[in-house]
Order: sequence, then C-alpha cells, then structure tokens
Amino acid sequence: MRGRPGRAEALAGILLSLPAGLSYLLLLLMPTLAAVLLAFTDYELGAPTIAWIGLGNFEELLEDPGFRVSLRNTLVYVGIVAPVSIAGALGLALLIESAARGRTLFRAVFFLPVVSLPVAMATAWQYLLHPTIGPVNAFLRDIGLSGPAWLTSSDTVLLSLAFIGIWEAIGFNLVLFMAGLTAIPRELHHAAEVDGVPSAWERFRLVTWPLLGPTTLFVVTITLIRAVRTFDSVAVLTQGGPNRASEVLLYTMYTEGFTFFRLGYSAAITLVFLVIVLALMLLQTRVLDRRVHYG
Amino acid sequence: MTAIARRPLLALPAAALAAPAIPRAQGATEITVHYCQPFIFQASYDAITAAFARIEPSIRITYVTSPGYPEGAQWLLRQAATNQLPDLSFQGLNLARVFAERRIAQDLMPLILQGGSAASQGYSDALLALGRFEGYQAGLAYAASTAITYVNAELVRRAGFDPAALPADWDGHIRMAIALRERTGVDGMWFAWSEWMFQTLLLQHHGRMMTPDESDVAFDSPAGLATLRYHERFVAETGMPALNTNSAQQAFAAGRLGAFYWTTAVVRNFIQSVGRNFELRTATLPIVPGIPDGQLATGGACGMLTARDPAKREAAWRFLRFATSPEGQTLMVKNSGYVPCNQIAIDDPRWLSDFYRDNPLFRPATEQAGKMAPWYAFPGPNGVRITQAITNNISRVIERQATPEVALRDMAAEVRRLLPRRS
Repeated sequence: MRGRPGRAEALAGILLSLPAGLSYLLLLLMPTLAAVLLAFTDYELGAPTIAWIGLGNFEELLEDPGFRVSLRNTLVYVGIVAPVSIAGALGLALLIESAARGRTLFRAVFFLPVVSLPVAMATAWQYLLHPTIGPVNAFLRDIGLSGPAWLTSSDTVLLSLAFIGIWEAIGFNLVLFMAGLTAIPRELHHAAEVDGVPSAWERFRLVTWPLLGPTTLFVVTITLIRAVRTFDSVAVLTQGGPNRASEVLLYTMYTEGFTFFRLGYSAAITLVFLVIVLALMLLQTRVLDRRVHYG
Repeated sequence: MTAIARRPLLALPAAALAAPAIPRAQGATEITVHYCQPFIFQASYDAITAAFARIEPSIRITYVTSPGYPEGAQWLLRQAATNQLPDLSFQGLNLARVFAERRIAQDLMPLILQGGSAASQGYSDALLALGRFEGYQAGLAYAASTAITYVNAELVRRAGFDPAALPADWDGHIRMAIALRERTGVDGMWFAWSEWMFQTLLLQHHGRMMTPDESDVAFDSPAGLATLRYHERFVAETGMPALNTNSAQQAFAAGRLGAFYWTTAVVRNFIQSVGRNFELRTATLPIVPGIPDGQLATGGACGMLTARDPAKREAAWRFLRFATSPEGQTLMVKNSGYVPCNQIAIDDPRWLSDFYRDNPLFRPATEQAGKMAPWYAFPGPNGVRITQAITNNISRVIERQATPEVALRDMAAEVRRLLPRRS
C-alpha cells in the first residue's frame, strides 16, 4: 500500500524528466562522445575510409607549428581580455553604483555591446579601425601620429581583437557585478562606518569584496570560458591572418574541419578545447569555491 | 469542434499547391543543381534557367546553394558521404580536383563527344583543361575569371598618367604607384596578394607550381623568386598599405587608393561601390617586363555531373551543356563579371560584341582570355592547407618579416611536407 504511490510518483518523475534527459543524451552527450571518438581517427569529410590511428592526431598537434601559434594566441587573448574586462567591469560597477544620477543610462551604455550582434559590430569595428579611411587613424593623423594597420598588421591584430573582446565582455560583467552589489545590504556598510572603518577603500576591502565573492567567481569563470571560445570577430575581421597572427583555437578547429576537411584532426583540437574548459570549471568548483565566502 | 473544423481548411491550400504538380509530373524529370556564391551567380543561373525552360520544358530544376566555394565543396563531400548527391554541382575551379580524385564527379568526355568534336561545340582545349585533372574530364568550366587592373582614373590623371593608356608592365605600374603617392597623397596601389595572385604572377613569369609529373614543387625557381621579389617591391617601393581585400575595396571606393589588382569577378561590385564617386577604369593586368606571353591563373566555377539515375543524368547533362553553350555563356557573361567559357561565344561577334561595346569595364578580362591557364590545384588531401602555407609565407614578405629568398625556401619546405608521399 505504501510502496505504490511512491513508485507511481517515481515513474511520473522519470516520465517527466524523460524529454530533457533524452534531448541531453541525443543533442549533447552523444555528439560529444562522437567527437571524442573521431579525434582518434583519420576521418576526412567525403573520404571513403576511416581508420583508428590512436594518438596520431595528438602527436601531430604537438608538432604542428600552426596549432602552437593558435594556442599561444588564444592564451595571450584570454590573458588580456579576462583581467581587463573583469577589473574594468568591477571598477565601472562601483563608479556607477556610487553615482548620484544616470545609473540606468550608464548601465545601458555599457550593456549595449552585449545585446548587439557580434558580426554586425565586427563590421563597424572594421570601419573604425580601417588603416586609411577609418576614424581612429584619421584622428591620430590629426594629432600628428601615424596609426598602425590595426587589423591587418600582425603586430597589432591580436591587440585590436582583444580590445574588441574587452568591449564586448565588459558590459556583461558590469551588469553581473551591479547585480552582486545591489545584493549587499546597505546596513553592512553603515555598520562598518560606525565601527570605525572610515576610508572607502577599507570598506571595499572588508565588506564589498568578500560579499561579492560568489559573483566574482562566476564572472571569472564565464569570462575565461567566453574568451577561450572567441570566434566571431576572428572569422569576420581577420580570418586568422595575417600569417596566423590572429588564429585562435576555435578558428583553427573550424578551418581544419570545414576548410581542410580533416574532421579527425579538428575533433582532436575540439578535445583540447574541451579539456581547457573542463579545467576552468574544475578550478571554479575545487579551488576558488572553497575560498569564496557565501553570505 | 473547432479543432476538427480546421483540418479541412488547412488541407485546402496544401491540395491547391500539390494539384498543378500532378499533370506536369507525367514525363517530367526533376533535377537538383547545386552552385556556390549566389550573391555573384544567382542572376546568371536565373537567366539560364528561364532560357533552358523554353527549349526543355520537361526538365524541372531545383537549386541548392552554398555561400562560398569552400562551403560548397564541404557540402558536396558530405552529400557524397551520405549518398545524397545532387545531380549537378558547380564547384570552384581550384577545389574541383578533390571531386575528380574521389571520382565523385563523372567523366564528361564521352558525353561531350556524343555531340561531335569538342572544338565544334566551343570547348577549346584550354577551356577543357580548366576542369581536367590527370586526364579525367571532371568538370566543364562555367565561368572564368582572371586578375585585371582597376584604377581611379581621376587620381591617375593627377599623377601624370593617362588612364586610357596605362603602363604595359609591372615596373611601369610601380612607377605609377610611386607617382600617385607623391602627387596625390593617396596609396598608390594594392595588389590583392593571395595564393591565386601568386600563381598569376608566377605564370606571368612562365613559372610552374609543380613539375609536369607532379613529383615535386617547381616554384622554388628563379620565376618563383622573381614573383616574391615583386611582392616585396610593391611594399618597399610604392608603400603598399597593409590591407585585406575587404578594407582595400573600401579604401578604393572611398577614393583613397589609385590602382587595385584583383579578379574581374568583382567588376560589378566595384561599379556599384564606386558609384559616382570617381571615374572607374579597368585594364588588362600588367605584364612582366620582356614576357608578353606570360599566362594568368584562372578562377571561377565548373559544372560537375554527379547524378546516378540515368534519366536524371541525361537531364543534368543537357542543362550543363546548355549552360556552357554559346547561348548559356552569353547569358552568364551579361549577368556577372566573368569571362565566357565557350570559344564560340568569345569569337563569334553575334553573341557578345554588343554587350562589350556598351560595357567596356567588362572587356579587359575577355581581351586577355587567350592567356588563361588552369589555377593549379595540388594533389592529395592537403590541397587547401598547401594554399594556406603559401599565403602565410607571402604575408611574411608583405610584412617585411622575411626576405623573398627565405620565404620561398620555407614555402617550398612546407608544401613538400604536405604533398602526398610517393611510394
């Protein structure tokens, strides 16, 4: 008698979770597994045969100068975009939060890049940074400087892309930080003041920063992952050029798979990418999570 | 109640859509035709389809398109892997070799010969060679393009040159670019450097990409070195700016660039983007001094037969034959910027002479049609990677990070590594 409703409930539960479970299995887990398996083969699109080559693709990756360049570019890109967009967003959030007027305006202004279409924005950047007819270099000429070919010279292309990346990420991070800031009770600040913490910096260090911990953790993880998987701006603006100076991990994966037809090799790069993302998530849950103070 | 009542209502439009198909389906053959770059080609296929429907009313065509040549090649490979090939596919000339090697494209020679000798149908050997790989006629050229010269006539005049009589060779064009920079303050020239333009300049030097038996690279030669030296001179002597094709087109349309050397395929886009900003002129590509008979790499598309079903195969062949006939090619030329791929359409004045008289900007590419040589495609699975390796080494010369000698040596070494190993 007692078992029956329980079992029926369990059955209903299973049935209810079935659609989500099935779609997870079919749309996420199995394709991922297929990609993992492909990474150990020499499969080429349209080739009549497919052979198991074990770690062959990974051995080739280690020797492939193109992949090394791409990995290094990705790390440089992430190394610039993540810290600047996180610190910058936090600073802006604190400024806007303390502003007496115009909070909504500033929030909207900085959030705009997030809601705009990356490809359309990339075209706008292409015009702004155009070496001869772009406004940026026209301005530099007016003040007597000669601007570089931002997106078409291998010296500046990665920096230019990183700047666009920061511009895109900062608004998103800003909104997250502002949400985190509003969740901090004002009484705590007042209490700190009463307890004799007069300087704004000390109040930030002792109250705001620890309470922002969970938000910061989330922002760090999401920014790192978003920066590692940057693709649109590269595909639209530079196609990895010139001479691979702006080739990043996902763009290499795309060209290997869909321009060079080497799906097995492309899957191996995907696996490297997956490992990086998983490592970042592990970092979040294992290392940083323990140090974060959840109010 | 409402739910039941709606159903017949929903069925009505569906039935109306299906009804006209029933009588026509009797004796009609439906074929699927695939092509790339609809933004460039759609107008030409629409015109050819309409003309074809008048002479072959029983063949109905469904189109599938891909945005670019690499995507189109990828799509066709995928369809081959899943056994869902279209009946006819138009592919980039430099990517067609993949389909010849994998025998996805059928041999067209027997079908061509059914209609008499190839030459009598306007398929000259030079045109057939564009779609032929190791003796296998995998494709028939549909549209061909070579590099031409685009100039801003007003800037050229201010620099002291005559836009109607530009210098004949590259050295003269380099002098013109220097004069443009000095007298008008704009960038003198932009050479749309790429693997294709490298092949063009190499062919102009009578150079080759590979040895005739394809056992080794042949571009690490005096001709290859001279080709890269020109790239270096463009930058060093004329101050050619670091642009890519997009930003260079924008600079040219804005009147900030004197001369532009690129494919004739974009002549229509150039006419549109320049508008009335300045007087646009085109000319044949300058020659290498002392080599008036140098050749040019040919870009464009060729049609490949992929149908298995005999009836569809016959219908697809008829469409391909029409599209490459003098009539089809005349329509193609009028609706794109390309060079006709039928010798009769080129030679016989009744087809295109009126068009070229009224549209002189389209003329240079056809004037240099006698110099067209195949855009060499590398054998083996790494063809596109080889292209990339070549482009990367050219960019080292353009950015002055490597001398032509070093870049050529590295280029040859990288290409050798990517070529299939001979057993």
